[in-house]
Amino acid sequence: MMTDTTIALTPETDARIQEIGETEILVGIPSFNNADTIGHVVRAVKAGLAKYFSGVRAVLVNSDGSSTDGTPDVVARTVVDLGDMLISERQSPLHKIITPYHGIPGKGSAFRTIFEIARRLKAKACAVVDSDLRSITPEWIELLIRPVLGEGYDYVAPYYLRHKYDGTITNNIVYPLTRAMYGQRVRQPIGGDFGFSGRLAEHYLDKHVWESDVARFGIDIWMTTEAIASGARVCESFLGAKIHNPKDPGTDLAAMLVQVMGAMFALMEEHEGVWAKLNGSNPVKRFGFQYEVGVEPVHVNVDGMICSFRQGLADLEPIWREMLAAETVEELQALKDCPLQAFRLGDDLWARLVYEATAACHRRVMPREHLLKAFTPLYLGRTASFVLDTQGLTSSEADGRIEALCQAFEKRKPYLMERWETGSE
Amino acid sequence: MKEFLQTALLGPLQALGKQVLAVLPNVLAMTIILVAGLVIAWAMGHLVERLLRVIGLDHLCNRLGVNAALARGGVKTDPSRLAGRAAYWMVLLFAAMAGLGALNLKPINQFAQSFLAYVPYLFTAGLILVGGYLLSNFVSQTVLIAAVNAGLPPARLLAACSRWGVQLVAVAMALEQLGIAQHIVVVGFGITLGGVVMAGAIAFGLGAKDLAKDYLERRLSQSPRDRAPDDLRHL
Repeated sequence: MMTDTTIALTPETDARIQEIGETEILVGIPSFNNADTIGHVVRAVKAGLAKYFSGVRAVLVNSDGSSTDGTPDVVARTVVDLGDMLISERQSPLHKIITPYHGIPGKGSAFRTIFEIARRLKAKACAVVDSDLRSITPEWIELLIRPVLGEGYDYVAPYYLRHKYDGTITNNIVYPLTRAMYGQRVRQPIGGDFGFSGRLAEHYLDKHVWESDVARFGIDIWMTTEAIASGARVCESFLGAKIHNPKDPGTDLAAMLVQVMGAMFALMEEHEGVWAKLNGSNPVKRFGFQYEVGVEPVHVNVDGMICSFRQGLADLEPIWREMLAAETVEELQALKDCPLQAFRLGDDLWARLVYEATAACHRRVMPREHLLKAFTPLYLGRTASFVLDTQGLTSSEADGRIEALCQAFEKRKPYLMERWETGSE
Repeated sequence: MKEFLQTALLGPLQALGKQVLAVLPNVLAMTIILVAGLVIAWAMGHLVERLLRVIGLDHLCNRLGVNAALARGGVKTDPSRLAGRAAYWMVLLFAAMAGLGALNLKPINQFAQSFLAYVPYLFTAGLILVGGYLLSNFVSQTVLIAAVNAGLPPARLLAACSRWGVQLVAVAMALEQLGIAQHIVVVGFGITLGGVVMAGAIAFGLGAKDLAKDYLERRLSQSPRDRAPDDLRHL
């Protein structure tokens, strides 16, 4: 079915697309002021395409958000000496499209332009990689593209090696909730680097979400959830450690929770028909050679997090009572004065907290932003509890705790249904 | 004697009787208008409520978060019922004015005219007060959550100050709309706000100078030690 979702590109980009015609592979790099790092990413992409997809038509698209540091110029002039990498096969030329994106500023709008170019070039397999990556290697391109081109998968999520305390929102909220809702064990649903088929890119374009928050942020969880919910074949690829430029340290945690949880809750509203009838979960195929590698240590201020939780308990209790069940708030009260080492916000309680917040958001008991921001001290309490619980454990042992948490989410799914339906009456 | 009785006693009584007889139809008209107004107000209130229920106003308000806002403001009634009650009282008010007008008494007519001319101001003032109340709840909740997430110990105090601040502004605006002591309200509000800001500045400058110094140092120097208590990456 044809839908009028075509977006306008610049005349230069249009002309370039006409010139190129069609392609098999498209690799997109969204950027905004990444002149320092994007050269390395472009080199890795070019080397990856030359090494693993020689002779295959490929296009590199840089979708830039009006950078002022010359990012597009860096992309344009970056070259790779393939001889240095012992790549000597005859290559098909790699076409480059460097284009500004239109619409709401953000990664989502940059992706939309990449999807549109993929559609017009009839790309069969696509990948998107962040422009601030320092650890990307040519192998990433193979691992993101090959499952689509050679194995018939529609969506490839990244699987990175991470410190046990790295990605605590992913570990405690995004992964357990996505897994329990949609029944697929995609370990890092908001990784940032993905592979997908041209068909899935078209599906993304046909969705009318580009004027919403998805265009600004939440694009990662939206892509993963949309892929699973649409019935696409999903797999993971092991990419090793992910090292990228540190994000702005001033980034507000509460705002981060609003973005990620808000996007997840909105997707749950949209896909209620899908997740409501699912039980349990299944592992997804994981490609790549897995190995252990030392990861950067992470310093955690447990005292500070518990302080935040307790202040929330003292000051936000009336708000929590509006969004949570009375018994749950009573259980939280028990943590008010307990000694630091005994502080635990267990898996079952945490699963109920997340589900109660989800249902409260569905029932619109208060403005969504207030609800999600009021959740921040609860999240910090859970993170502190997780850190205390996994002190002295290896990363794989800590992963075992995440697995137990996921099972608690799956077991408690009927509780979510109960609260969700109460709100629908 | 008979003439005296005729002029001093019966004359005024007859005049009074004539006056009563002249006013009686007006009183009757007023009663009829009031009773009819009561019936129409009841019917109108009922009709408005039913109509709004049928077109799904409550559901729409629920989706827009209006019901939750009303509940937080202590209003437990649903929006359709509220609109119905508003229609009832509006019709009743106009019926009362029309009824008093039917008496055709000059002072009452003047009062009715003044009152009717004042109604738009009353309505605007009422809207300002209701809007201010709802806004004060929203602002106070926003401030409370932001202060807790920022780890500020007097979070509840800040939230209460913001609530009362917004409500004070709303009351000042409503009184100005009603034309009650306009200058006093504006001057009083200016003095109060200025006083609060001055008190805050003095308190912060003297009582919390170390905190201010620390805050400014952190803001201006951006030294890595102070920027983040830990290096957790949440996503």
